Amino acid sequence: MKNSSGYKWYRPISVIGCAAVVIVGCASIPPPTEQIAVAKSALASAASVGGSEYASVEMSAAQEKLDRAHQAMEKEDYENARWLAEQAQADARLAEKKAQSAKAQKAANVIQDDIRVLREEINRKSK
Amino acid sequence: MKKYHFLPMSLLAVAVLAACSSLPPNNALLDEASNDYSKAKASPQVTELAAIELKQAGDSLDKATHAWKEREDRALVEHLAHVAKQQVAIAQETANQKAAELAIATSSAERDKVRLEARTREADSAQRSAEAARQESEASQRKAEESQRSAETSQLQSEASQRQAIAEKQAASDAHLNTQVARQQAQDAENRSRQLEVQLTESEAQLKDMETQLKGMEAKKTDRGMVITLSEVVFDTNKAQLKSGGMRNVQKLADFLKKYPERKVMIEGFTDSRGSDSHNQSLSDKRASAVRTALLEMGISPERLTSRGYGESFPVASNDNAAGRQMNRRVEIIISDNSGNITPRE
Repeated sequence: MKNSSGYKWYRPISVIGCAAVVIVGCASIPPPTEQIAVAKSALASAASVGGSEYASVEMSAAQEKLDRAHQAMEKEDYENARWLAEQAQADARLAEKKAQSAKAQKAANVIQDDIRVLREEINRKSK
Repeated sequence: MKKYHFLPMSLLAVAVLAACSSLPPNNALLDEASNDYSKAKASPQVTELAAIELKQAGDSLDKATHAWKEREDRALVEHLAHVAKQQVAIAQETANQKAAELAIATSSAERDKVRLEARTREADSAQRSAEAARQESEASQRKAEESQRSAETSQLQSEASQRQAIAEKQAASDAHLNTQVARQQAQDAENRSRQLEVQLTESEAQLKDMETQLKGMEAKKTDRGMVITLSEVVFDTNKAQLKSGGMRNVQKLADFLKKYPERKVMIEGFTDSRGSDSHNQSLSDKRASAVRTALLEMGISPERLTSRGYGESFPVASNDNAAGRQMNRRVEIIISDNSGNITPRE
């Protein structure tokens, strides 16, 4: 019987311990300093290639998420800060790519226009 | 003891899992990312040109899907899904960029080719127009040369015409001169002919006058000219003395000779066949000479007077009868032409 009562007393403690382990495991997320730095760098890079012009939605989203990541860092909400930083980085990289792609497409179009104009010139002159 | 330790932990794990599985099975954002990824994966352009980016997107999507399957926190799933979705978009854009860059590379080459063609055509065109201009210039030059030639030809023709005109003028002038000369000649000829006519008229008149004058002397026209025959009756028989009647005839002749000083006379004496030849010759000489002497006495110069006796030669009638013999006894006076010539007796 004594064994039975001892068992009863230990059970809640083990449950609490277990929960504490889970909580500590969750709370042991380090501050995402690196992710924020990468996101910031990506945003700067995107801005340098004209991301605001060619991908304004992605750029503003990235900027907003980076800002919120900073706020989360201040609140020590590291998990949220990391997610925001990661998303900001993805958004910024997409903006950069969009800008680069749009520029390349523009350049390609310019050349196609050049070719068209030259062909018209040839046709006009050969008449 | 150990048995009791495991049980609450297992229960807790089951409780946690049960709590997770109670979340809605579908996540809209994850589905969206998954859809985008499927499309990107189906595009050969993306798989070829953005393989690395697509792989990263796929890894992110796997993570998100895993989290979703593990019933992780919805915020975590949606976070991972968002990252995956953005990475798919990045892969897409990377592929677009590379495609555009490839297009730039190929169309740059094409543009260079077309530009070269255009310049070549331009050059050809310029050359053609230059050639055309050259030909045009040549044509103008040829035309100019032709004009010049034709001008030269014209000039030549003109010169020829001028020469011809000059020649014609000359010819005309010559003709005119000729005409004048001819006219002059005609005039001269006319004058001469008129002169001749006058002369003729004169000589005719002279002749008529002469004839008239000589008529009294019984002159006769013969082949040798005018011949006056003085018959025997003007002389005494066998004498060379002119009778007075004979002297009148000689006087007429002297008058005639004075009037026509260019004329000369040949005096010839003849006899009949009676008597000796020498007597007849002498008689005929004397009688001819008597006429000459008479004319000399009448003032006719001696160089105009020639006399000769022929005896009984050249009878003009028969000596068989008295009438014939009388006709043979005669003196013939032959009057010369204007130049003083007398055809001598053969």
